[in-house]
Amino acid sequence: MEIRLVNLTKVFPGNPKKNIPDTRAVDNLDIVIPDGKLIGLLGPSGCGKSTTLYMIAGLLEPTSGEIWFGDEDVTRLSPEKRGIGLVFQNYALYPHMTVYKNIAFPLTNLLVEDPVVDEKGNKILAFYRKHVKALPTEIPTHLKGEKVKNPFKNGREEILKFDCSHIAGDPILDDKGEQLYVTRKRHLTKIEMDKLIRETAKLVQIEQYLTRKPNQLSGGQQQRVAIARALVKRPRVLLLDEPLSNLDARLRLQTREEIKRLQRDTGITTIFVTHDQEEAMSISDEIVVMKLGVEQQRDHPQEVYNDPKNMFVAQFLGTPPINMFNGHVKKGVLTIGDDVIREDLPKDLDEQDVYVGIRPEGFLVPADKKDYVFNINVDMIETMGRDISLVGSHKESIKPSFKAILDADTKVNVGPLAVGVKPNKCFVFLKDTEERVI
Amino acid sequence: MEKKNNWKAWLYLAPVIILMAVFTFYPLINTIGISFLADYDYTTGTSSGFTFDNFAFVLGLKGVESGGTVSYLTDVIQYAIPNTFIIVIVTVPLSIIIALLIAVGLNSIRWVKSVLQTIFFMPYVTNAIAVGMVFAVIFESTGLWNYVFGTMGTDWINNGASSANAMFALCVYIVWHALPYKILIFLSGLQNIDKQYYQAAQLDAAGKFKTLMNVTVPLLSPQILYIMITSFIGSFKEYSSVVGLIGKPGTSGDVGYRNMYTIVYYIYDSIAVNQTHYASAAALMLFIVILIFTLIQFKVSKTRVHY
Ligand SMILES: Nc1ncnc2c1ncn2[C@@H]1O[C@H](COP(=O)(O)OP(=O)(O)OP(=O)(O)O)[C@@H](O)[C@H]1O
Ligand SMILES: [Mg+2]
Repeated sequence: MEIRLVNLTKVFPGNPKKNIPDTRAVDNLDIVIPDGKLIGLLGPSGCGKSTTLYMIAGLLEPTSGEIWFGDEDVTRLSPEKRGIGLVFQNYALYPHMTVYKNIAFPLTNLLVEDPVVDEKGNKILAFYRKHVKALPTEIPTHLKGEKVKNPFKNGREEILKFDCSHIAGDPILDDKGEQLYVTRKRHLTKIEMDKLIRETAKLVQIEQYLTRKPNQLSGGQQQRVAIARALVKRPRVLLLDEPLSNLDARLRLQTREEIKRLQRDTGITTIFVTHDQEEAMSISDEIVVMKLGVEQQRDHPQEVYNDPKNMFVAQFLGTPPINMFNGHVKKGVLTIGDDVIREDLPKDLDEQDVYVGIRPEGFLVPADKKDYVFNINVDMIETMGRDISLVGSHKESIKPSFKAILDADTKVNVGPLAVGVKPNKCFVFLKDTEERVI
Repeated sequence: MEKKNNWKAWLYLAPVIILMAVFTFYPLINTIGISFLADYDYTTGTSSGFTFDNFAFVLGLKGVESGGTVSYLTDVIQYAIPNTFIIVIVTVPLSIIIALLIAVGLNSIRWVKSVLQTIFFMPYVTNAIAVGMVFAVIFESTGLWNYVFGTMGTDWINNGASSANAMFALCVYIVWHALPYKILIFLSGLQNIDKQYYQAAQLDAAGKFKTLMNVTVPLLSPQILYIMITSFIGSFKEYSSVVGLIGKPGTSGDVGYRNMYTIVYYIYDSIAVNQTHYASAAALMLFIVILIFTLIQFKVSKTRVHY
């Protein structure tokens, strides 16, 4: 099911008496999350990720804007009616229940609709009373006369049920054009629940811990229980709020693969919140980068990395981070210090100082073209197995040092060095708006 | 060095230890001792020797001989013990359930914490006798209770009121007086429960009652256990409420009529008429009953209280 956020805004009111200003936690967010996809919501701490998630879940009411699940407007729908599975930042497993009971809890509230069948095993067609009145006179003679609560309108309107075999004439259709049958809502049976619980536990590989209490589990196991609890009721949407933040590095890697696998297997539309860009890039089908409640960019992870819209996005993505330099543009020529880096900038750009970002992997050693060389100073060379990392300095570098990642075979020595710069790894940003020029 | 510290520590503790020894430990041991003395007279400190009979006398199992006639003490077995158990069984669960519901209700209103918390705590700091006197006015046959509930003319606590009526009024009063402290403890416990548990329950479509039973009560179980044990003990020792509400041990003009006796009321009365040995025996038995109840609760709580 597709999720659409339309101009979604959340303002936490401040307190003018105590001089606390309003907080615009989420500002005019417009996102479409395609059906069955995993979206990573990425941004620094406090940028409104959890707030967005809670609004989708219905736990927080938006100040303005709309939330759509498919073609249903759920903005004012209460949380329990939305069919959401949410994994909290700290799991929020019930400490007094065993893992089994924790996973069972959502199921005990679930209502399923079964068709009511007559003695011959036929489903029973349902008619609204007002429809029955409008029917031709010969049909109501087959009426069995039994009144049933209308399952479509919270039991407020009575319906009459007919024996299927006696129905003549046109069947009554609902607004989607489907034939209506009498159904009855009921709770799941113990056996049905048990089956679902064990299936889900198997999916997240916690079958052997079902009898334990949450405090007898490791962080990773607890996290998987939390996911199982969210998944067991087969939610329409799965929301994960930094589910990996409590795990150690190894477990984090392993678990994020598991989440990806689970999501692919179940096909549930999923939103994954994180402030770890690597995590978001590795498992998301698409990522949304946020800053101070405003969406900065939304695209496939590699697109966002290769083609950042502004300086914030460029700096936020990538490890090691992008290297920033002070540069200058004149007549389409970009220079850092005295070195010409690119000559393909728009000619109509006014002469001005700019920021230049060069990805660590954007350096060429040795320089391949004589005319575009960037003279830097190599301070240190770190060998990291597959690659080598070169720590350099330049008087126009914004930080005291910057990093370049090079192939391990490259021969470099400490001292002055002329390197090339790959044009597709080198971005130019305006000084004032920090928007990208090229 | 260590030795000196120890010495200092004892010195600091000395005032408390001395006071406790004089006013707690000594009376405690003395009580046990006196309960085994026959015809103990506290004005002279004399007795006619060691005996187990005090317990039998108190429970009316054995007649007391004086001036050639044998009389049985029936007040304890007939009134004090049943009354005390009724109070315990009625008021403890009732006050806990009501307090829990009020606390949950209060906790869901934000401005309550500062304002209403004080108001709700007022009855607790008000003297039991004073509150009892107010309730005595409420339960007059022309009082507020009869007025509100349209039961004009019913005697609750006056002379001539039935034991059942008086017990009803007494239980209402005890429950009411017991609420604030419990509400306060439950409120502070509720405020420590992470609200994410409620959000999780809400997303899972658990209803209000189900959330209360499956989330709130289990997470509050340490506080509930604490309240249960303390109020069991308190109810077994109920006495001042009878004095406050009814003013005497019976709802009759007859001085000897003691249908509202409680165990502790009997103990105080016995001391007043220089029957300390009976009082001690009754106190010792009460102590053992309370001990057994408390142990049972701890045992049950092992499987019911989480954390
Ligand atoms: N109940 C609240 N009242 C007032 N301000 C709030 C409230 N909840 C959140 N905020 C503010 O809204 C902003 C967004 O908060 P949010 O929790 O959504 O951040 P986040 O992106 O999830 O951060 P993190 O990565 O640290 O979890 C923050 O500036 C925060 O201070
Ligand atoms: Mg958050």
